[in-house]
Amino acid sequence: MQVPLSEILTLTAVGLLLSTFGVVVRRSFEGWLSAYRYQSVVLAGSTAVIAYETGLWEIYAAAVLTLVVKAVIIPRLLVRVTDSVKDEFKIEANPLVSIRLSLLISALLIALSYGLIHETLISANLDVYALTYLPVSLSLFFIGLFVMVSRRMALNQVVGLLIIENGLFLFTTALTQGVSLIIEVGILADILVGVMISALLLLRMSQTFDSFDMASLESLKDD
Amino acid sequence: MTSLAADVVSALQVGAVVALAPLLTGIMRKVKARTQKRMGASVFQPYYELSKLWVKDEVVSESTSWIFSSTPWIVAVATVTAAFFVPVFLPFSPFSAAGDLLLVVGLLALARFFTMLAGIDAASAFGGIGTSREMMISSLVEPGLFLTIFVVSLTLGGTNLTSLVVAAAKTGVVIAPSMLFALISLFVIILAETGRLPFDNPATHLELTMVHEAMVLEYSGRSLALLEWSQSTKQLVLLALLVNLFLPLGMPTSIEAGVTMLGLGSVAVLLKVCLLAAVVAYVETRVAKWRLFRVPDLLAVAIAVAMVGMVFFYL
Repeated sequence: MQVPLSEILTLTAVGLLLSTFGVVVRRSFEGWLSAYRYQSVVLAGSTAVIAYETGLWEIYAAAVLTLVVKAVIIPRLLVRVTDSVKDEFKIEANPLVSIRLSLLISALLIALSYGLIHETLISANLDVYALTYLPVSLSLFFIGLFVMVSRRMALNQVVGLLIIENGLFLFTTALTQGVSLIIEVGILADILVGVMISALLLLRMSQTFDSFDMASLESLKDD
Repeated sequence: MTSLAADVVSALQVGAVVALAPLLTGIMRKVKARTQKRMGASVFQPYYELSKLWVKDEVVSESTSWIFSSTPWIVAVATVTAAFFVPVFLPFSPFSAAGDLLLVVGLLALARFFTMLAGIDAASAFGGIGTSREMMISSLVEPGLFLTIFVVSLTLGGTNLTSLVVAAAKTGVVIAPSMLFALISLFVIILAETGRLPFDNPATHLELTMVHEAMVLEYSGRSLALLEWSQSTKQLVLLALLVNLFLPLGMPTSIEAGVTMLGLGSVAVLLKVCLLAAVVAYVETRVAKWRLFRVPDLLAVAIAVAMVGMVFFYL
């Protein structure tokens, strides 16, 4: 049976949005990471669909790189770095905005990004990729930002940053259909280094303050 | 089709729903047992239990009122009436000119309301606990349920169940994205409505975590049999509704499709419902019961997902 392209694109968009909900609703570090992993797998899949339709080998390479770096290396790296951290610091027990409210706000943010894209870009002559993925990338960006500002735990903020990055990746891929591969590799290396640096900072933080709570950074330590 | 033939066929449909409902419960228990590496009882065990309960004497507390004794019958009648409105095996239901999806929701809510009243009627501590929890869960289920119904009605057109199921059967395999979100939302809601894990554990009888079992704890004999049978019927009706609205593969698009097609469609529905029941049982094996105050999180997921489904509809 011939399934039309726009259906496949929409299904991957649905998968991306649902995995983003997964990051918002889960309370534990493992939960965020597994939701992020699903998101990266779907992202790689949608990149591969774009590659298949356009026939550019650079996008295939970008899809494979996304799969390897984001779905395997980054989650493992984060798990390994936080191995020594106590479990009680890995759960978001008391977020600034409650989990339920943040879910509803995320749904509103998705509605907002769809509205924005359709208001502003409906006259611009966009192809089907951009039309499907631009609102999704914008919602990933918004929700990632929202997760970063509304949670206390530093680990959760790292995951929020990763979601934002996924959204940006989707944005460029959908809009340009393949920036040159060297730029993609550069961006991925950038994220990898970014995650490593934030992991180092997290380790220092847990050693110095014995907590990942961002609120405790505001008080000075006098010893 | 003449009106007499339609009446006969639809009466057969409701009869089949009521007769097969305990079998579905048995299948779910069996699947759950097998996924937990137990042998489990026969799939016909619910029938044995019902027939045993039916002939047993009842013990009724002296402090109860008429609500307690009439509730099992009200629940059974409301549930079977709801079954009359839902096209389960055929793309046709007898009363669909008289009532729609909202009426089915209302009838099930009536059954639930009287179960809650009966829970507090005997004034036992367990009944009160179960009732207050059920009230909390059901009040949180409603917004998600209605958002889902809005999405489904907007996508398929109308709230009349027969036309909804026919419209779903016409769309075939390719599912609209808004319906995909509604499917996920409705799945969570059905888990809550039928009292499955992670909302309520249907397998416990003496735990502080139980919800539905706590409300019907005072019942025995024939009343208990009626309540359990209604619960099974409600479960089959809701699962069949989910299957017919979202996975209509094999459902004929009209009641005039001929006996062979209708028969094949019924078998397909039966198989799909069993498969869905197996999925539910598998989910029950995978998850633990959630802490009561985390339950709203999951229902918030259902609401948010239904809201996104609405966004996708207006795209």
